[in-house]
Amino acid sequence: MSKIATSKRRSRLPSQALLAKTFHWINIVSLLLMSTSGLQIYNANPVFGGRGGWNFPELFTLGGWLAGGRNWHFAVMWIYALNLLVYGIYILITRRWKNRFANASDIKALKASANAKRKTFAGHKLIYTAIIPILILAIASGLAMYKPAQLYWLASLFGTWQTLRTIHFVTIPIVVLFTFIHSLLALRFGGMRLIKSMFF
Amino acid sequence: MSLILPKRRLSRRQLLQWSGLAGAGLLLNSCGTELGSAEVGKFTEPLNQAIQNLMTSQRPVPEYAVSQIEPDALLVNTFDITPNLDPVKFRLNITGEVNQPLQLSLAEIQKMPLTSMVINHVCVEGWAAIVQWGGVRLRDLIALAQPKSRIKYVYFKSADGYYESWDLKSSLHPQTLLAYQKNGQPIPVDNGAPLRLASPIKLGYKQSKWVTEVLLLNELLPKQGYWEDRGYEWFGGL
Repeated sequence: MSKIATSKRRSRLPSQALLAKTFHWINIVSLLLMSTSGLQIYNANPVFGGRGGWNFPELFTLGGWLAGGRNWHFAVMWIYALNLLVYGIYILITRRWKNRFANASDIKALKASANAKRKTFAGHKLIYTAIIPILILAIASGLAMYKPAQLYWLASLFGTWQTLRTIHFVTIPIVVLFTFIHSLLALRFGGMRLIKSMFF
Repeated sequence: MSLILPKRRLSRRQLLQWSGLAGAGLLLNSCGTELGSAEVGKFTEPLNQAIQNLMTSQRPVPEYAVSQIEPDALLVNTFDITPNLDPVKFRLNITGEVNQPLQLSLAEIQKMPLTSMVINHVCVEGWAAIVQWGGVRLRDLIALAQPKSRIKYVYFKSADGYYESWDLKSSLHPQTLLAYQKNGQPIPVDNGAPLRLASPIKLGYKQSKWVTEVLLLNELLPKQGYWEDRGYEWFGGL
């Protein structure tokens, strides 16, 4: 009896595709490095307040000084961007986006479902889907600031330089907020078993 | 209930473990140290430089309207002193791998065709300012000196001891100027009077002020630039 029960439970353990797990790992590590080196660059001339502006504590910065922060930022950008690109190709080929990203029925559930669990699930899918454009926005706004002369058409989409800087910076708090909500919802939904399945 | 409770207890404990791990990871990662940043730079700079070089073209960068100039946004950065050069005694030397070394006075330079541009001046620190610069195209000056065919780099010496080196392609860009005019006025001393580099395709630290010597070179010198020798990337393209 007990044997059957354990094997049944084991078979129902959540598991994730290897490529999804790889993307997830690389994305977390590269985002951490991009954010900390980004805050190092931020501190050289704060987006808010300029030279007199408030600096992020050293604990949250990577690189030691502006040049070190830039070295990290312009090295990890390749890993971060290529990882996202490979993930994009992967979800297109496997059509994974069809059931992993929010769709019309999720929106409907979010508006009208009486089932609380269904609603939370739909909400999480929506948040999970919405972070993708934010990750792409971080690259687009970053590229616009890295090459405002050669990619002036891209830079001009963002309006003034201050707007461009602000948009690029704001992707950090959005990603941090997303990480919290995403982790909490995953924990509430599938507990540690689900979270473990995404990492190992 | 019995099904949910144990799961919850487990989650909380493991959540704490995870947050501890995440915190330790953050500490190890950062701590405000230079932590391998020089090595990381050495590893990726050749790739980044090649891409930047590839993206650099001779096509002019679109300019701004005069009404968009931000006179107060242009901050003054100087590594050491602010030299006060006498515009009458001032001479610009163009030497190195050239057939016709030149020594030009400011009056002679100002007789050459004036190029005016309203561009975004972008500092490595993150700020930018829309500025009008007026001056002579560097490529006109280089042509006057009749460079030998193998030159690849241009080296700039400044009166304050600042030094810089550029790739030839960026130096020949039609908007790379030796400027003597800022926002319609003669350049103030703080901004590099009487002559400074100005270009929309390079970061501010590449745009030397108080330029007194232009050297055309086949090879980069061991000292590549004041900030580059301290860790900044050499290309500094925009």
